[in-house]
Amino acid sequence: MRTKRSTKVVITCILSLLSLIWISPVVFALFSGFKSKQEYNLGNFWDLPQQNLLLENIDYINKNADLFLSMGNSFLYAFLGAFFAVAMALLAAFAISHLEIRGRMGWFMFIYSGTIFPFQIYLIPVFRGYSKLGLYNTRLGMVLFYSAICVPFCMFVLRNFFIGISREIMESARIDGANDFQILTRILLPMATAPVAVVFLTQFSWAWNDLMFGLTFTKSVEVRTVMTTLSLMGDNNVPALMLACLCASVPTLLFFSFLQKKFETGFVYTSK
Amino acid sequence: MAVSTDTAVLVRKPAAEKKETLGQHLRRHWKNYLYLAPAVIFVGVFFVTSIVYTVYLSFFEADGFSEPVFVGLRNYITLFGDSNFRISVMNTIIWVVCSFIISVVIPLLLAILISRSARPSIFKNIFYFPNAISQTVGGLIIKIMIGLYGIPQLFGLLGWDWLVRDWLAVPYVNTFLIILAGMWQGVGLNMILFIVGINNIDSSPIEAASIEGAGTFQMYSKVILPLLKPTFLVVFLMSLVNSFKVFDSIWVMTKGGPYRSSETLALTMYEESFIRNKIGLGSAVAVVLTIVIIIVSYFNLKNTFRTDS
Repeated sequence: MRTKRSTKVVITCILSLLSLIWISPVVFALFSGFKSKQEYNLGNFWDLPQQNLLLENIDYINKNADLFLSMGNSFLYAFLGAFFAVAMALLAAFAISHLEIRGRMGWFMFIYSGTIFPFQIYLIPVFRGYSKLGLYNTRLGMVLFYSAICVPFCMFVLRNFFIGISREIMESARIDGANDFQILTRILLPMATAPVAVVFLTQFSWAWNDLMFGLTFTKSVEVRTVMTTLSLMGDNNVPALMLACLCASVPTLLFFSFLQKKFETGFVYTSK
Repeated sequence: MAVSTDTAVLVRKPAAEKKETLGQHLRRHWKNYLYLAPAVIFVGVFFVTSIVYTVYLSFFEADGFSEPVFVGLRNYITLFGDSNFRISVMNTIIWVVCSFIISVVIPLLLAILISRSARPSIFKNIFYFPNAISQTVGGLIIKIMIGLYGIPQLFGLLGWDWLVRDWLAVPYVNTFLIILAGMWQGVGLNMILFIVGINNIDSSPIEAASIEGAGTFQMYSKVILPLLKPTFLVVFLMSLVNSFKVFDSIWVMTKGGPYRSSETLALTMYEESFIRNKIGLGSAVAVVLTIVIIIVSYFNLKNTFRTDS
């Protein structure tokens, strides 16, 4: 459908105006990060920063809020969690889509059920179980939990990808003497790099961005996740808080810029 | 008997595989189940047992320290008589209704405008951008922006003194503000889904309609929107399920307060179990939330697997 030139100009103007509103909170956060606490509280929030206090603010969020420590923690949890989840999901998706097993649909629904229930229902049992086993407030506990919670979605996406691959390729490999595991790692995995990358990145981002489980399963500063740290900072030092928010968003923003070229392809895998 | 089965195998070889007993099947294919094992064990231990345990606990009075006492349905009865719970249910309904309007109508309008603008890819990125930051970060930034030193200051300068107040502390207004913050972050994803949907529409019915002299409005209402129905369904059901689960943004913006006025079911569950230590009552809230979500998810799943096959 063609759009008239004049309509196009009007639409572009409207959208440009909306875009300004849309990015204004982030611009606000960015400018605040350069200000001092006094400057923010006494001046107007739309004033440009008078001096450059970025380094002082970074120092503050490092020493008083331990932001970088919890960013390190979250990176560890999100990276290992997504990694183990993708590994387990690859094996399960392979079995469900191509191996001879009984109750294929039943196994699929069993694993997939993890995404159907509201996450709140897992809080109390996992909290109590972790307290009994000594996994509460430990790095190991967090990695195990994030691995588990990312499995169902990864399995769902990878299975959808695997059932699209024809069996003939695998049959000919089997005749050449390859076993099942070799078929998975040497044939299917190289074909599936795109969906594997997409699920890894989305699950990494999910675990990084999660607040509820981090808040519930951790207590001490050494184990805390980044979003928990942000939620506990309080707003008496607004410039530091805004800067901390931006720092905590760097990894997911990097993924965003990395994935944005593959927007549509990415969504074909994840929204199916 | 063994002899006769052997002959059966010889006579009808292809059908024999189907007649295999479970024992024979397991003996031959046990290795295949090892591939399933890690995922099944993790999901089973963390989630399936959790669900059973939460349902079990919801029939007990428990504080997490002393031995739980069986109370039957009393937690549920307490819950439905509790005014805080009723406010929470009301807020959840507000979230669900608003998220329908906000996450379906606005993204669709944006998608249509963007698909007809001069620079679709730039606008697409700008509106999707807030989706790339977490609910926690988005909630905190918006909270500061609409807090006393933020936008109300601007109203004060304009002389609208009645607008100068801490709006997040005003019961019932705060829920709508948190929903707006959620909208700022959430429309991007649905907008992309609609754009993908619009781009994937077959161009021949559109060309046919334009030859027949259909106007822009008719084109959308009669041709394009009906063709977008599958995308509608996905976006609608996905937003519906997600709106029940919102926790992070409410927690960082108001913690459910003041006076528990902005709580939704997800928040009430956390508040009862981890702040007030009423684990039995919290479990009952979790069960209620789960039942509602399962009913909604049923339609979502039906739709997912219909498009799947």
